Amino acid sequence: MKRSLRSWLWRVPIDQEIDEELALHIEMRTRELIDRGMDPHEARESAISRLGDVRRLKREMAGLGRKRDREMRLTLWLEELRDDVKFAFRQLKNSPAFTLVAVLTLALGIGANSAIFALVDATLLRPLPYGQPDRLVTIWETSDATARGFASPSNMVDWKARNRSFESIAAFTPGVGSMVVSGRDGNAETVSRQWVTAGIFDVLGVKPVAGRTFLPEDEQQMARRVVISEGYWETRFNRDPSVVGSDIKMDGRLYTVVGVAPKEFEILGRTSMWAMQPFPRNLPPRARAAYQLQVVGRMKPGVAIQAAQSDLAAVAAGLATEYPEFNKGRTVTLEPMHDTMIGSDLKVTSMLFVGVVGFVLLICCANVANLLLARATARGRELAVRSALGAGRRRIIRQLLTESVVLSLIGGVLGVGVGAAILQVTPVLIPEGLLPATVTLAFDLRVVGFCAIAALIVGVVFGIAPAFQATAVSSTEAMGADTRTTTGGGGRIRGWLVVGEVAMAVLLLFGAGLLLRTLLAVQSYDRGYRAESVLTMLVDPLNSSYPTPARLQQFFDQVEAEVRAVPGVADVGWSSALPLGESLYGDFALTYEMVGDPPVEEARKPTTDYQVVSATYFSTLELPIVAGRGFDARDTKDSPRVCIVNEAFSRSLGGRNPIGMQVSFRVAGSPTDKPNVGEIVGVARQVKRRPDEPRDFVQIYVPMAHDLSDDVLMLVRSKTGRADALTPAVRAAISRIDKEQLVSVASVTTLEDVEWKATGRQRFRAVMVTAFAVLAVLLAMVGVFGILAYSVQQRMRDFGVRRALGATTNDVLRLVVGDAVRVIVTGAAIGLVLSALSGRLIVTLLFGVQPLDLTTFAMVTIVVAITAALSIAGPAWRAAHVDPAVVLRSK
Amino acid sequence: MTTPSKTPNALLHGALDALILKTLARGPSHGYAVARFIEDTTGDAVLVEEGSLYPALYRLERRGWVEAEWGTSELGRRAKLYRLTGAGRTQLEAEMATWRRFSAGVSKVLFST
Repeated sequence: MKRSLRSWLWRVPIDQEIDEELALHIEMRTRELIDRGMDPHEARESAISRLGDVRRLKREMAGLGRKRDREMRLTLWLEELRDDVKFAFRQLKNSPAFTLVAVLTLALGIGANSAIFALVDATLLRPLPYGQPDRLVTIWETSDATARGFASPSNMVDWKARNRSFESIAAFTPGVGSMVVSGRDGNAETVSRQWVTAGIFDVLGVKPVAGRTFLPEDEQQMARRVVISEGYWETRFNRDPSVVGSDIKMDGRLYTVVGVAPKEFEILGRTSMWAMQPFPRNLPPRARAAYQLQVVGRMKPGVAIQAAQSDLAAVAAGLATEYPEFNKGRTVTLEPMHDTMIGSDLKVTSMLFVGVVGFVLLICCANVANLLLARATARGRELAVRSALGAGRRRIIRQLLTESVVLSLIGGVLGVGVGAAILQVTPVLIPEGLLPATVTLAFDLRVVGFCAIAALIVGVVFGIAPAFQATAVSSTEAMGADTRTTTGGGGRIRGWLVVGEVAMAVLLLFGAGLLLRTLLAVQSYDRGYRAESVLTMLVDPLNSSYPTPARLQQFFDQVEAEVRAVPGVADVGWSSALPLGESLYGDFALTYEMVGDPPVEEARKPTTDYQVVSATYFSTLELPIVAGRGFDARDTKDSPRVCIVNEAFSRSLGGRNPIGMQVSFRVAGSPTDKPNVGEIVGVARQVKRRPDEPRDFVQIYVPMAHDLSDDVLMLVRSKTGRADALTPAVRAAISRIDKEQLVSVASVTTLEDVEWKATGRQRFRAVMVTAFAVLAVLLAMVGVFGILAYSVQQRMRDFGVRRALGATTNDVLRLVVGDAVRVIVTGAAIGLVLSALSGRLIVTLLFGVQPLDLTTFAMVTIVVAITAALSIAGPAWRAAHVDPAVVLRSK
Repeated sequence: MTTPSKTPNALLHGALDALILKTLARGPSHGYAVARFIEDTTGDAVLVEEGSLYPALYRLERRGWVEAEWGTSELGRRAKLYRLTGAGRTQLEAEMATWRRFSAGVSKVLFST
């Protein structure tokens, strides 16, 4: 090291170095030759010529010299770095309290950010796990009613045949349904199943892990074929290769297993198998109005999405003129498949978290910067000595920055641990369905890399101000000065840092407040029914075992009677859907019109939700019938069609009494379907379908006897206590009726759990943001405490003098608290203004609360006031108890 | 470009480095002095091509075997003096050992009877 340093200090420009060296050589050689008796002129010529081509020589030496210098600079730099790092470690070891606080603060900040980075990385940043994913687009069928609607099979088939931009097009049903598999051992089992078209695996470019995927021949033969998922293959068949090619009986029909699809295919839906839905060219006309498919296309290489869009739009326009009765006003919209899979809710949630943890990290930086500033003041003399000994300002700044980067790297290492810990906990919180099916959060090398980069940047960010601040004082000033009297610039920066911290903490608190109010709003609305103590389960008999509706009805009646006899059971009901839960029919809507009203154009008809329930459904849920009657024994298979509507439906009639009116309804967008007509016999209390639905939804209940389906949800209300305690008894009761075990019982849960799940997203956001906001407030208050404690420490003597001169405790307190209050009030005011400006950004995540919610403003102010008071109390107490005699006597 | 008659004592590849290191082992000196010392010691039996001496010195400096500093020449002028480093000394010993083995081997063949 000494070598490089010395040669470095004496370095002259390389060309000059070479010129001088060669000139000396030539001169000495000339002298030598003259001494030997050569003529001076000739001697010089000879000396030069002995060097050969001097210009080439110089060029060669210059090249070597430059390389040498570059390497020496690097070596020197590395050596300085090593010294700085060593020195930094020594410094940190000498002040363990400072180091501990700073490192922990940084670890929290970096850890929180790394966990959120893992979430964002897994969802937003990574491409879909398919080959050339940027060529994959979702093709939505759009109309006036929906901007992102599902497509009908006939339209999909025609798009595929007529476009010029796509390699291929395929589709799947958006929902995952279930089928009953009769196992070889005779036991029935409900497995999840998703319908797909034959080409879906080819469009996505997914290769099977065993067997094959669907072939065009499968589609032409209208064969019943399934591809099972790798997970199901593993858990159910223990990866037995002989499953491929075998038949399994599902819903009473035989399906051939043709292959096994790898895990990444499950991104379409978390399911055990994909069953092929064949769509031959000659579909019945009404298939053009069955909007049920989510369509995916793989664009040809080099085709831009806009070009594909206009190509397909032209095809759709052609279809609209060809089939006006179905396709008038319908066109297509293309969207990158990645966007479809991620969903706007996840995107907004991720960005919200990124913003929140970003602020937390800034607060951490501000806190550590504050600590460093305080230390820099204390180290003023040390730095002054170093500078007097010849270290330049740049050199000292570099050394101080090295210290802060070392600090933040230690914080980053611990942050990796904190982040891993957060990721251990969060999966429990993440609501079902927010992440695409196969996305799992992993703490991988990318996250570690993120931590490293974050730590480096953070180290420079919080280190730069203190470093410049520390070196701003001239050395004579600092060395001559008494350490007690350093205030000025450093103090001002520190004040503003704390103002910034308080402002950011207030902003986060405010966001957390809004999200908590949203959570409260979705949890504490008037449900209309009593959710406590209700057990639900899916009862799904094989349709071959109960071939007729009468047999099926008989089975359900027997089960109901048997379960009702179970001790502790208060009531038993049946339904096709659960409040706040999923409907077995999926999310399609029905259009309706009142019989006798003037006819309305199909596209403008109002829509309603459709639910099939037993007579006992209302009593089981304690859902009141507010007018007319509920269903009862009069409503049998052969009785006149009746229905019950909800309050929103009733209100839509404009004050007319619904009881006795006839309503006609059918599946939306299928004008050829024969409509159902029924008499409204009652009005039920309004219930929610989604916890955060913007308006009350319209609903029609139909008696189970009129629309019997072979999978039904059973609801059991217990007399007292927890409903899930009844589970074994109820299951036993069912198997007493279903002696041959041909009925599958699945999805056993309680209504309270269904509700808990339904509000999962709101809870996830509220919990996460609140946790980070609390952290932010704590950190900010540590910041307030820090500068206050420091300034009290610095001014003890001042206070002592004041007390000695007759100032009261109150006078001193006013001095101390006044400063702190100024900082906090300024910060809080800025924070509240920022909150008011930025509340709009999360308006899509809010429900039941406005972005400018006054209650939240008030709560935030109160929280800040209380925590501020706590952080001020200690230093203030200390200042108030100054003993003039003690302080003045000490130096 | 060289014929045996003209440069009967052309240096074997790598030997120049060893000679320079050996020269500097006596003490720091500038480039001309190195050249002179080699010429004088070998009695002009080995011709040091001056065009390759300086690049060799720079290469050795870059490898850390010699280091350079500004000193004063016999003429009272500023001169760049080269000095052997610790690493250079080790390298010199290694080269000497290699050379000894090499020349012993070659001699054995050439002077065998």
